[in-house]
Amino acid sequence: MSIMEYNGGAVVAMVGKNCVAIACDKRLGVQAMTISTEFPKTFQATPKTYIGLPGLATDVQTLAEKFRFKVNMYKLKEEREIEPRTLAHLVSSTLYERRFGPWFVEPVVAGLDKENRPFICSTDLIGCINFAKDFVVSGTTSNQLYGMCESLWEPDLEPEDLFETISQSLMNAVDRDCLSGWGAQVTIITPDQVITRTLKSRQD
Amino acid sequence: MFSTYPGQVVVDHPVKVPIEHRFDPYVDNGGTLLSIAGEDFCVVAADTRQSEGYSINSRYVPKSVKLSDKTVISMGGCYADCLTLTKKIQQSMEWYHHAHGKTMSTAAVAQMLSIMLYQKRFFPFYSWCILGGLDEEGKGAVYTYDPVGSYERESCRCAGSASSLIQPFLDNQINFKNQVSQKKTLSLDQVLRITKDSFTSATERDIYTGDYLELFVITSKGVEVQKMDLKKD
Repeated sequence: MSIMEYNGGAVVAMVGKNCVAIACDKRLGVQAMTISTEFPKTFQATPKTYIGLPGLATDVQTLAEKFRFKVNMYKLKEEREIEPRTLAHLVSSTLYERRFGPWFVEPVVAGLDKENRPFICSTDLIGCINFAKDFVVSGTTSNQLYGMCESLWEPDLEPEDLFETISQSLMNAVDRDCLSGWGAQVTIITPDQVITRTLKSRQD
Repeated sequence: MFSTYPGQVVVDHPVKVPIEHRFDPYVDNGGTLLSIAGEDFCVVAADTRQSEGYSINSRYVPKSVKLSDKTVISMGGCYADCLTLTKKIQQSMEWYHHAHGKTMSTAAVAQMLSIMLYQKRFFPFYSWCILGGLDEEGKGAVYTYDPVGSYERESCRCAGSASSLIQPFLDNQINFKNQVSQKKTLSLDQVLRITKDSFTSATERDIYTGDYLELFVITSKGVEVQKMDLKKD
């Protein structure tokens, strides 16, 4: 039994044409038993940047709060919002601080920078950043998500099409993973607005 | 000299101690296979890379074998076990032909394979089998197995190292799961495109999948084999 598979969860982020999307499942379990179906794993860092945190649930909650603190402090000191690329490095150094007793999460960062250029990345549990141009996946469902995203993603998808693509990728992937599912939450970030939709999926 | 713990016996002369010699009989040669059943056809596809750990043994070792004009079997896992199992099936089919004067039907081969696998329940064949073919009515049939013989007929299935990557894609594209569009029967062309896309995607993300793709298309006309390049990195 791996500690990363204790609670279960899935997060995926994709790049579109002048937009990004980030999606997660909503299950919280203790191994085989589902405890809650209202445990989304994406959190807003700034109006145009989101962090996805799959992994051990206690660390998900703790890191969500730590990053909220760090992002707020950044804003107070710098008098501007943190850029997604900078946030990625902040996430990375926060994780590496615990190199020999790590946080059991593998975060995903997705957002638009100040010129509204899309940015996504993921890191491993000790902070190695993967700067991807297409999509990033994380959580217990990562293999299934790799398969779905690799087949369904194409460059320059408009926000509506990106929403369909990321939703289908997540929903079909979590249907093949017993530790993830029980609903999904999809957030589309465009220069004008941020829309979060909740999807109803197989409730098992 | 060095500290002792309670119960430890320290002697000042060499002592014979039993050492267990072990040998792991199983090796994973990697690779991915899939099979899709159509209305009047069946597609069995497998990559041809054979690996051992991080090394590649060969870029072209076929994983699929034509058993008859109506049946093709594909096996992944330990190649040695797959070879022996294939030989056993082919020999049994020959005996059947001599005894009954006809070729074994796909359903009969399916049942026989299950029995063969369970006969080695306590030292299994480490092989993930998928049997594809046409049933007695001419419709496509796919039978999937676990290493000890549990089997089931399905509409599509993939097995092997990239199975977790491809199976959700097949659920979505072949069985239209999580889609509101009406279910419709797929043509051979559409199924072949889905198969090729599955393998190119799997090759990107799975190190054990790649090199070449061999497609067996089973129709009432017989078995046609196509070979396609995959990324070799």
